[in-house]
Amino acid sequence: MNARKLSDGQFAWLLMIPGLALFLAIIAYPLVAALVTGFFEQSLVRPGRAFVGLANFADVLGGDFWPVLRNTLVFTIGATLIPFVVGYALALALNAGIRGSGFLRGLFLFPWVIPGVVVSFLWLWIFNANYGVLNGVLTQAGFIETTVSWLGQPVTAMIAVIVTKTWASFPWMMVMLLAGLQTMPKELHEAASVDGAGAVRRFRSVTLPHMKGIAGIVLLLEFIWNFQHFDTIYVLTGGGPAGSTKTFAVAVYDTAFKGFDLGHATALGGLWMLLLLVLVAFYLRRETKESS
Amino acid sequence: MTVTLTSPASVSRRQVKVRRRPDQVRSRLAAWIAVVVIGLFGMLPVYWLVATAFTPDDKAFSFPPSLFPTEITFDHFANLARNEQLFGYLVNSVIVSVVTAVLSVVVSAYMAYAFSKFRYRGRRSLMHLVLASQMFPQALLLVTLYAVFSASGLLGSYTALILSFTTFTLPLCVWMLKGIFDTVPSSLMEAAAIDGASRLRTLHQIALPLAAPGLVAAGLFAFVRAWNDFVFALTLTDPDRQTLPPGLVHTYLGEFQTAWPDLMAASFVVSLPVIAAFMFLQRYLVGGLTAGAVKG
Repeated sequence: MNARKLSDGQFAWLLMIPGLALFLAIIAYPLVAALVTGFFEQSLVRPGRAFVGLANFADVLGGDFWPVLRNTLVFTIGATLIPFVVGYALALALNAGIRGSGFLRGLFLFPWVIPGVVVSFLWLWIFNANYGVLNGVLTQAGFIETTVSWLGQPVTAMIAVIVTKTWASFPWMMVMLLAGLQTMPKELHEAASVDGAGAVRRFRSVTLPHMKGIAGIVLLLEFIWNFQHFDTIYVLTGGGPAGSTKTFAVAVYDTAFKGFDLGHATALGGLWMLLLLVLVAFYLRRETKESS
Repeated sequence: MTVTLTSPASVSRRQVKVRRRPDQVRSRLAAWIAVVVIGLFGMLPVYWLVATAFTPDDKAFSFPPSLFPTEITFDHFANLARNEQLFGYLVNSVIVSVVTAVLSVVVSAYMAYAFSKFRYRGRRSLMHLVLASQMFPQALLLVTLYAVFSASGLLGSYTALILSFTTFTLPLCVWMLKGIFDTVPSSLMEAAAIDGASRLRTLHQIALPLAAPGLVAAGLFAFVRAWNDFVFALTLTDPDRQTLPPGLVHTYLGEFQTAWPDLMAASFVVSLPVIAAFMFLQRYLVGGLTAGAVKG
């Protein structure tokens, strides 16, 4: 076949064939098939399945869905806003003309560069009830009298996973926001300064409006990722204690691979996907505006 | 969206010339306070990982722990080196991550080139679909992937792992390489066409060499994502094909008393290739990050 005879459009489609084939086989098909499974009674370990209509959805909505949604939202909001504030503060600091900020930027990447399971191991060790360094420091400083089982109680367990995720995420926020700050024209600040605006006023009237776009994207992306985060929670608490840190990712995984109940797992997953799609649609609209 | 980072050094040099006003001194002081406070939060855990990895067992398992090691040992690293099972995980991780990276870059380079340099019906929707696909929940994909691999007898094989990793490295590489090809001037391609080069030849001999650093960067990002994956490797493999992340969980966390110093030493070693990769990737950081190079 002579490629020269093809139009540009046909040639482009030709180039996309391997990628598209792979995309359809391992992403599009599995996703659609999983969503369809939500309407069936199906087990991971036994063959065959039976159509049950909306029964799985009704079961899930009458049970797991609401507590899991609540946990997911608490985790997602906490693990998005806190690293955002920390990362923003650090980005502003590194952009303030202090010495060695390039080196510091590199150094601060460490927590986010190291693999997710390593992050989890490390904080599992820090939060350890018997020998953990957090208990050690707090008892010696006199803040607590006996050691606390941080991961063994619902409220502290949720705080612990949020802290862990914050630690792993704030460097990413910092890098993105710092890049945004560095594209801000210096003249704007100087002009505002000449007009007598103080540091706080300049931050509010010059920096914040300039950063609106990038801050929105960073928040949205982090929210989407946290909404489906799995690794840290699964290793740290496994969704416990008593399901208090069980998010969608953990609940769907456990229902499918520990409970072997594919029907309910994918029904819950379908609802989860629906919520995610709303967020992704927001993101795509922003991205389209950005590129045009 | 690609933003090039200006070197912070040049920024600070310019500011030194300006006479320091009191509020500038104040803001610099505030900056240092922020750096120190956040630095403690960011770096103390890293310190603790390294410190524990070199602490003898009897010291590590005492309460309260001493913050500064009084004794240093290399025993934990020696334990790692002797552990054949861990070595197996390491080999699996290397094989699977390298093949995933190469496969993803090769396949997505053609797709990204089509997205970047041609205009045709369906292009925009497909681009959005690819971008959106890296936000689809993995746990849901996993349900079908498990069934498909199980039915085709691939469950537990390298192929299953590589294909499942490609679900997130393919969108990442396509999106990132599209950004790279966008920076290759189309005039070069038009010149090649005028000289009689076919479109395929233009792609292979003009565009790809120009995009080579970007191809390497995308490959490294894909490698890192594959190396770090936990949930697919945890589920789709049997123990002898497992990669390091789930391998370490099974080796250490299942036991009655976790060998924390050994685990910290292992964590240290597992992090090294990723840290090395990122040292090369500094320049591509922001472009790669928006493409979803590392998921939070």
